[in-house]
Amino acid sequence: MNAVEVSELTVRFDSFTAVDRITFAVGVGEIFGFLGANGAGKTTTIRVLTGLLSPTEGRVRVAGRSFADGARTIKSRVGYMSQRFTLYDDLTVSENLAFTSGLRKIPPAVSAERIQRLLRFVGFNHSPSALVRDLPGGLKQDVSLVAALLHDPDIVFLDEPTAGVSPAARSKFWALIRGLAREGKTIFVTTHHMDEAEECGRIALMRAGRIIALDSPAELKAQSFPDPLLEIEWTAGAPAGWRESLLERGAASVVPYGLHHHVMVNNRAAWDRFVGEHTGRLTVRTIAPSLEDVFIRLVEGADR
Amino acid sequence: MSGEARRFILGRALSIARKEVRHLSRDRVTLAMALGVPVGLVILFGYVLDYDVKRVGLLVIDRDQTRVSRSLVDVFAAADYFSPLALPPGATPLGRLEEGRAKAVLFIEPGFARATAKAQPARAQIVIDGSDNQTTSVIASYLSGLQNAASRSLVPDTGPPQARLRTRFLFNPELNSRWFVVTGLFVVVLGMVSVLLTALTVAREWETGSMERLLSTPVRPLEIIIGKLAPYMALCLGAVGLTYGAARLWFGIPFNGSHGTFLLACVLFLTCTLAQGLLISVVTRQQQLAMQFSNLTGLLPATLLSGFVFPIESMPVFFRYLTVLLPARWFVVACRGIFLKGAGIADLALPLGALAVLGVGLVALAVKKFKTDVEP
Repeated sequence: MNAVEVSELTVRFDSFTAVDRITFAVGVGEIFGFLGANGAGKTTTIRVLTGLLSPTEGRVRVAGRSFADGARTIKSRVGYMSQRFTLYDDLTVSENLAFTSGLRKIPPAVSAERIQRLLRFVGFNHSPSALVRDLPGGLKQDVSLVAALLHDPDIVFLDEPTAGVSPAARSKFWALIRGLAREGKTIFVTTHHMDEAEECGRIALMRAGRIIALDSPAELKAQSFPDPLLEIEWTAGAPAGWRESLLERGAASVVPYGLHHHVMVNNRAAWDRFVGEHTGRLTVRTIAPSLEDVFIRLVEGADR
Repeated sequence: MSGEARRFILGRALSIARKEVRHLSRDRVTLAMALGVPVGLVILFGYVLDYDVKRVGLLVIDRDQTRVSRSLVDVFAAADYFSPLALPPGATPLGRLEEGRAKAVLFIEPGFARATAKAQPARAQIVIDGSDNQTTSVIASYLSGLQNAASRSLVPDTGPPQARLRTRFLFNPELNSRWFVVTGLFVVVLGMVSVLLTALTVAREWETGSMERLLSTPVRPLEIIIGKLAPYMALCLGAVGLTYGAARLWFGIPFNGSHGTFLLACVLFLTCTLAQGLLISVVTRQQQLAMQFSNLTGLLPATLLSGFVFPIESMPVFFRYLTVLLPARWFVVACRGIFLKGAGIADLALPLGALAVLGVGLVALAVKKFKTDVEP
């Protein structure tokens, strides 16, 4: 059985369609990534899957439960970490966690043992009696994760868990996510960061409420870039109108990347002629496409 | 709901209550507001809202200048309600009224003494500045009392009076308006503060985002409402205690009823106002808006429609019926009954029953309106 099954899910707010007939499934133990710009519908989808928002249409099954069983039965089976900062600033770490245990009905003895174990797991090295407002951002995220894991859920939803934390804290947080997946938990994570998306078993790309691609990162790259991807740099200044002429002569896409451009070629002969015309002014390297390339290509494809 | 779930409902409410107490214990400003503002306002308004009109400037124009006419003036002066003034040379009575130097003028016509001696109707005229409605009606009511006193002192030997109307005010024999005002102030002050306290709590959690984590657990709206209500109830009862102390010690307001009944009335009234605040908070989800709403729905009806300032009996029919829905109206009745009349539970069955019904209704409405959907 899948951990999450979504079929034809639609969420509308008045006339605005935030999520538009999406269908997908997440297997048990998977790290499933949700990628997309702000407003693409990632958070809305997660809120439905955590029982925080009722779907307008479509069927949702999370951990074997649906909305027909009541949103509360879903809530008791999943862990959720919001992209907003949701701890109480004026309470201590242990008070915040005790509050969550109380709402989750975790017996005190079990709760005390778990809090200790989870704080150790996330590497929390502060005093648990420190006020949350006095903690650095990364540590607050760690405590939020502990709060989401207190009831030992099989599925954990993380909505942009690393937004606004330092790169070091980010990579540490992803080590935790991998650790949870090794324990057999299903991880459902949204992110802006392409390097984080690479860590996922499969990723779904959302745009304007729809899923426009869903596969493993390697498979997405292979599908989006059947032809080699080249990185070019104009070493002696770019001639005017080169992009347009290149696109006319057989490049599928020309995308600026800092000082370079990524070019996807679909007419090899025309490309070779182009390179020949600009010998000495142009360096060309064959590169492996990153997820960012995939993302841009898919979004452009969807716009076209 | 299964039996197990029913048993556990208090557990979650308790967790929320404990958390609220921790918030409060670190929030000095709110604590000070909740406990200090009611006491401060009762003391402040207890002085300001004094309806008693005393030592009204009375311009005396005695054209008779006899012993009898002077003793009429003495009657007015003795009551302490009026202080007689003489007309300075060159001034006109109307001018003195216009300038506000005097609130009323007493004209005693020549031949006043002669008329009383012959047992003919003796005439004196009183002109009152009618521009201040409040004062005018009080002066007019004093006058009717003084008329009796005057006719008795001026015509002492007319034999035993055949029929004399005597008015005695029960429960507040001196008609001390402060007694009346302070007992009513309980309502305004408690109502205002308590509605505001809870109106902010749920809205604050929506704004900071903590509501999202709260709702991601299987908590029920009823558990949140009870968990938020209980600690603020305790806080507001603390404010009641302080306000009660101020009323008794500072203003010497009598307390003739039972403290148990008073506590019951307070708990019922606070259930209404705290639930009203929660309802506002649950619906608005924004602190700014919740604050405006609670001032509008907490303060205004409590001052204007509760019978605290304007008697309900003299309101238009629509408003008279509207006040039935106001907890403040019933609490005013209960408070005055308990403080001044020593009314017991049986005497106050109607107001206490109404408060109980309104309280349960408001709590139920707050629970029902509590949308657990987290929208963007």
